[in-house]
Amino acid sequence: MTALITQAVILGILLGGLYALLAAGLTLYFGVMRVVMIAHSAFLILAAYLAWAFNRATGIDPLFSLVATVPLFFLLGVVMQRFLLSRLKPATLTMMSVLLTFAIALIIEGMLGFVWTGTQRRISLSYSTASLEVFGANIAVVKLVAFGLAAVSLLALYLLMKATSFGQALRATIQHKEAAALLGIDTEKVAGYGFGLGLATAAIGGTALALDSTIYPSLHWHWIGPLMAIIVVGGLGSIPGAAIAALVLGLSQSLLQIPLGTTWAQTVFYLALFITLMVRPQGFFGGRLAQRF
Amino acid sequence: MASDHLLELNDIEAGYGRAALVLRGLTVKVPAGSVVCLVGPNGAGKSTVLKVASGMLAPRSGSIVVDGEDVTGAGPQSMIRHGLSHVLQGHSVFKEMTVAENVSLGAYTVKDKAQVQERVEFVKNLFPVVADRWAALAGALSGGQQKQVEFARSLMVSPKVVLLDEPSMGLDPKTTSVVFEQVVRMREAGIAVLLVEQNARRALETADIGCVLDLGRVHITGPAPELLEDPQLAELYLGGGGARSADPAEDPTPSGARSPELSSPAPERT
Repeated sequence: MTALITQAVILGILLGGLYALLAAGLTLYFGVMRVVMIAHSAFLILAAYLAWAFNRATGIDPLFSLVATVPLFFLLGVVMQRFLLSRLKPATLTMMSVLLTFAIALIIEGMLGFVWTGTQRRISLSYSTASLEVFGANIAVVKLVAFGLAAVSLLALYLLMKATSFGQALRATIQHKEAAALLGIDTEKVAGYGFGLGLATAAIGGTALALDSTIYPSLHWHWIGPLMAIIVVGGLGSIPGAAIAALVLGLSQSLLQIPLGTTWAQTVFYLALFITLMVRPQGFFGGRLAQRF
Repeated sequence: MASDHLLELNDIEAGYGRAALVLRGLTVKVPAGSVVCLVGPNGAGKSTVLKVASGMLAPRSGSIVVDGEDVTGAGPQSMIRHGLSHVLQGHSVFKEMTVAENVSLGAYTVKDKAQVQERVEFVKNLFPVVADRWAALAGALSGGQQKQVEFARSLMVSPKVVLLDEPSMGLDPKTTSVVFEQVVRMREAGIAVLLVEQNARRALETADIGCVLDLGRVHITGPAPELLEDPQLAELYLGGGGARSADPAEDPTPSGARSPELSSPAPERT
C-alpha cells in the first residue's frame, strides 16, 4: 500500500507539473486581456498532432518539433490577438471571447479531423515503455520527460517575466494598462506578445502531452474543463496561483485514483471548482498573489 | 525657436467618441519652472485637459505645442519623448511590483543605463520614501507613499512638464500636505507642473498660476495668490468665506459641487 501511495504521489507531482504548464497560458490570456480562451486546449491538441506528424514523417524525436511549433504558435497568438480579440468591444470582451475562441476550438477540431481523420494516434518512441525506479516506485520515462519539459518551460517563463524588460512591461500592462501606456509601453503590442507567449506554452504543453497520450481531434474537450478549474482555483490571472492549484489538484487526482479509479478521480477538478466559487470566488491563491509573478 | 512656455494648449476642442465636446476652445499655457493649477467644478473638463496634453485623447481641433514644437495629434509614447509625463488620478502604482520595479519602469523608454541610474539617484534624493522603501511591494505602501512613488516614476524620463491629476484624491489632510510639499520640491528641481485638483484652495496655495475652468473653457487665468484673494472666486470655487489661510487639516473641503455657470468670463489677468 505504501509503495502504491508513493507511486501515486510521484505521478501526481509529475502530472501537476504538466497541468501547471498547460494552465499557465490560459491564465496569462486572462491576466493580460481578460480573455477566456476556450481554444487553448484545442491548440494543445494541435501541437500534439504536429509533434506526432513530425515524428511520423521524419522519425526524429517529437521534442525537436518545438523548434518550429513554438515560434509558429507565438506568431499565431500575436495574429489572433491583433486581428480578432483586439476587435472585440472592451465592455463585452470576456463574454464575447468565450464565443469567439469556442468557434476557433471547433475549427481546429474540424481541421484535425479533416487532415488526419478521427483515428486515435499515439507516438511510439524507443523510450515509450521505459521506466525508472524512483523511491521504490516505477515511473515512466515519458512522464519524467514531460515533467522536465514543463519545469524548464515554467522556469523560462518565470525568468522572462521577472528579469526582462518585456516581462516587466507585460506585468505592468496586466496590473494597470493605462498607467503602463503613459510610461511609453505599447500596451497593445505587449498584449499581443503576451497572447503569443500563452500560445507558445500550448505548443510546449501539447508536445509534452503527445509523449504520453493517445490523441484524437476532440480530446481538447476533455482538457478544457480541468484547466479552467485550475485557473479559477488558483485565482484568475495569477500564474503562480495556477501553478500551485495545478500541483495540488494533480496530486489529489492521482491519490484519488487509488480508491475511486480514473473516471471518478477526474471529478476532483469540478468539485474544487464548485467549492472555490462558493467559498472564495477570487480563487485560493488570488488576492495579493494574483497578477504577481 | 523655443517659446517662453514649455507647454501650450491652444484653442483645444476635445471630447470622447461621438459624444458632445468636453473642451470647447480651451487655452492653457505652462511657463518653465512653474506650477499651473486647473480648478473648477466636477465635469468642467479638468482631467480631460491632461489627457489631451499627454496624448491619451486626440483633440478635434486646436494645437499642442511643447517647447516651441507643434506636437498636436502625438500619442503618449511620443509625448514622453517630447518631455511630458502624466500621473493619473487615484492610485496607479503597479501594486504587485516593488518600488524599485515601479520606478525603473518609469524609464522604460530610456535606453541609456547610466542615465537611468542617474535618474534613480535623483528621484531617491527628491523623494526619500522611495529610497527607504525601495525593495518593498508598492501595494504595501500607504496612499501618500504610493503617490510619491508615482511622482518618482514620472520623473524618470527627465520631463519638462509633469501633468498631475488630482494628487490628493483619497488622501487624508496630513498626507495631502506631504504630497503638495513634493509638488513644490518638483518645481524647485526646475520641473514645470500642470496640476488638476479638486482641493482648489490647497492647489492655488501651491501654484504660481491658476486657471478656473467651467464647461470646457478657461474662464479666469491669473497669479494664484490673486485668485485666492478674489471674493467671487472664493464664493464660487473655494468653499466661500473669502481668502483665508487654508490649512487642509482645517479646511479639506473640495470645490466639487457644480458652480452656477459663469455668464460672462472674467478678463484674463495675465
